[in-house]
Amino acid sequence: MSLTNAPEVDQPEEPTNRPAPSYRIREWLSRPYARHFLVLFIIFTVVIMPAAWLVLHFMNQSGAPASAIMTDIETTIFVFTFVSAPLMAVALAILMYSLLGRDWGGRVHGEEPPMQESPAIRTNSLGVILWITATSLLAGFLVIWGLVELASITAGSYGSVPTNQQPSAVKPIDINVTGAQWVWNFQYPDQQGLQSDTLVVPNNTPLYFNVTSVDVIHSFWVVELGIKIDANPGAVTNIGVTPNKLGTFNIRCAELCGMHHAYMQTKIQVVSQADFDNWVRVMGGAKTS
Amino acid sequence: MSVMTRDIHEQAAVPQPTQHGKPGGFLRHTNIFTGVITGLVLAIITYAIGSKLVPWGTQNATFQQVGYQALIAATYVAWVIGFMAGIGAFAGPIRWVLGHDLTHADAEYMAGKGQGKFRYWKYTTDHKVVGIQYLIMTLVLFGLGGFLAMLIRTELGITWAEVFTPNFYNSMIGTHGIVMIIAMIIVISGPLGNFIMPLMIGARDMAFPRLNALSFWLLFAAVPPLVSNLLLGGIRDGWTVYEPLGSQSPVGMIGYQICIIVFAFSTGIASVNLITTAFTMRARGMSWNRVPIFVVGILSAAIMGLVWFPMFQYSQILALSDRMLATSFFNPLMGGSVWLYENLFWLLGHPEVYVVIIPGTAALIELMTVFLRKPLFSYKMAIAGFVGVTGISSIVWVHHMYMTGWAPSAGYPFMLSTELISIPFGFLVLVMLGTMWRGKPWTRLPMMAVYAVIWNKIIGGITGVYLSDVPVDQYMHGSMFVVAHFHFMLMGAGLFAAIGAIAYWFPKMTGRMLNERIASIGFWVAFFAFQLTFMSMFVAGLQGMPRRVLQFDNAFNVSNWLSTIGAYCIGIGMVIFLFAVITSWRNGKPAPANPWGAKTLEWQTSTPVPLENFPVLPVVTSDPYGYGVPDPYDSVEKKMAEADQPVGAGAR
Repeated sequence: MSLTNAPEVDQPEEPTNRPAPSYRIREWLSRPYARHFLVLFIIFTVVIMPAAWLVLHFMNQSGAPASAIMTDIETTIFVFTFVSAPLMAVALAILMYSLLGRDWGGRVHGEEPPMQESPAIRTNSLGVILWITATSLLAGFLVIWGLVELASITAGSYGSVPTNQQPSAVKPIDINVTGAQWVWNFQYPDQQGLQSDTLVVPNNTPLYFNVTSVDVIHSFWVVELGIKIDANPGAVTNIGVTPNKLGTFNIRCAELCGMHHAYMQTKIQVVSQADFDNWVRVMGGAKTS
Repeated sequence: MSVMTRDIHEQAAVPQPTQHGKPGGFLRHTNIFTGVITGLVLAIITYAIGSKLVPWGTQNATFQQVGYQALIAATYVAWVIGFMAGIGAFAGPIRWVLGHDLTHADAEYMAGKGQGKFRYWKYTTDHKVVGIQYLIMTLVLFGLGGFLAMLIRTELGITWAEVFTPNFYNSMIGTHGIVMIIAMIIVISGPLGNFIMPLMIGARDMAFPRLNALSFWLLFAAVPPLVSNLLLGGIRDGWTVYEPLGSQSPVGMIGYQICIIVFAFSTGIASVNLITTAFTMRARGMSWNRVPIFVVGILSAAIMGLVWFPMFQYSQILALSDRMLATSFFNPLMGGSVWLYENLFWLLGHPEVYVVIIPGTAALIELMTVFLRKPLFSYKMAIAGFVGVTGISSIVWVHHMYMTGWAPSAGYPFMLSTELISIPFGFLVLVMLGTMWRGKPWTRLPMMAVYAVIWNKIIGGITGVYLSDVPVDQYMHGSMFVVAHFHFMLMGAGLFAAIGAIAYWFPKMTGRMLNERIASIGFWVAFFAFQLTFMSMFVAGLQGMPRRVLQFDNAFNVSNWLSTIGAYCIGIGMVIFLFAVITSWRNGKPAPANPWGAKTLEWQTSTPVPLENFPVLPVVTSDPYGYGVPDPYDSVEKKMAEADQPVGAGAR
């Protein structure tokens, strides 16, 4: 028999006077300020959460989402608003309680410093630990959500993979976008270099933009499709998107580019494949390969 | 004989410098007027001589006359040097070279002893005078920036016509932006950092009194070149003045660049001074565990400013060089990179946001303990928050460049760092909420500012989390949403905090009580109008309105009309507040030494503060947050712990 197999002697536990956690929680909940705070917290959470829908309502006013990327973006905003609501509610509940609460809150008016002092709470380990844990978890959730979503929309917009290497079933249409003070110019190299100042694209077909500028920095923003990339002089930047909704949407310049920046906008028409082929023929290009 | 006594005797035997002439010497003859006149005269002479010398016809790559640009730059430099010479900034070095060291009488003259109100117009070294000078300067800058804001909102509110020419409009948004940024950077660290911080740590003055005067008057010299840009064709490029659009702007841009270069020196000098003061001049017994939290906030802001402001300065030096010497740092036609400028700019650009917000937050944390009669909740979390924000702020700048196409992969790490910064920032929120927890607020204006600021900070913080996320930023970047977000942070959390802080320290700084009735009306009008203005702007941004435009789709009309109405009301509120400040300052009720019953050192000396602050330097034995009574619920818990069995319900 080795020593390791010796039966362990149970040490008697130190007797403790600390009440059980469940009792402590019940005791805390019996305090008026705690109850009032919790009620306010729940009310504020419920009141704030619908803001998530309100935000989407404003974003969708001009026809968005018109692509899977835009849908991803809207989902992200919706989720962020939703998970921020409890945190915002905590802060608002404390603010509101401190201003209006009768038992521990309650305002003091007057010219002289109030004689009645408040409880001298220097710190509260549990509160600090809870707060750090909650905010860290929230931040961690947002970071992970963001990273995954970024990877997803980068894949959706082909990142910086050239058109001819893309594994997509449908070959993307290359479009060269050139910003100049203060117009956008679109060139379709696959359609015999057809040029246009409005963008006409077929629905459900991947698009791949090569964006550059001839003078200053512009920013190519297709609003309802949720894509944006700067047009830099001396460099070509890329972004891709697949529109999934027929209609006419907005292209705006999102980087101050001089005098007529405000007017540097045009339209994108998402049309059916037949209409697109027709448009290409009318404009003098060749049929889509 | 102890060593101590011998040292004292030896010190007494040190030969004192001899007095040459009257105390103050050359500085007796200089003031702001001689400074301005010398500066203008030197500028005019430089322009007159220069215009005969430079080759006018030469043009650079952007078809602007190189000679003319050099001439304008030389004129601005002449103004700065002439002004600084005229106000006596060079008197000290010259005396040092001549061997006429400052005597005690000289130092007292420079601190403004016996000069009455006139000392505010001079190169005065007293930190209290510099603080007041900064305060006035800030108010003037806010007035200017606010006026431009009203003009901008007028243009955006009148949706059916162009009120201003596009170029002038672009210059206005740029000037509004940079003037407000400068004002916000100095609004706490300048007036309160200089006036209050040395008092708070129990010092007789700042560590470097003459550098203190230098930092203020450099700022004073830097502002006219900036404002003059509106007369010289403007900076048609927003406050970020991205290249190469910046090179297309006319010579007004040189005023901007000179201003930033000089202002960076001013900030650097002021930061060094604040840091040294906080580290070396604290009263006996004021260990780092007993320092008022406001000092820590000022310290973090000063460190961020000192470390990162040179980046902005370099970006402007290089841009000026591109413009005048045809170098090509940022000119892509000749191998430069537009992304280099953006990186240099945002390396300051983001820490700058925290330079603005941190001191205001610290001031509010400081004052809310007084009005809640509660100790600061978790002092150490507050320190951790300041340290964390100061540290992480240096690695988040690329989140302004997600959509530039520069290194799309950089989005991943910088999204991570940007969202991580919300954790230390959350510490500060915890400290504020914890201090507020179960406190009875004494509802004076400074305390009400705390409520206002926490609300604004929540909105600004949550929208900031949206923007830190690359996919969301792909929609939001460059839209009005961004504008609304940073106004919530800089104005909502920064300026409203500054209003609260100034209202709190007003009695100490001016010796008079602020008329809170009128000031509160102004404050609340501005606050609610602020919500209207920028909430509508969020809506415009969500609908897809780009920023920095003067005409837009009819879809954005309603939100812009509301925004404009709100902006006018902010203006009215601010004017009311300013009226309260001015009338109270002129003939308000004289303030007692400690009207709030606060425990920090600045309230323990008399009002108005004597020249050397404290008759006897204080000794500190505890931190200044000894408010409050023992928590009654603590005794309940103690009883529970002491009893053999848990006590029953009915804790009260």
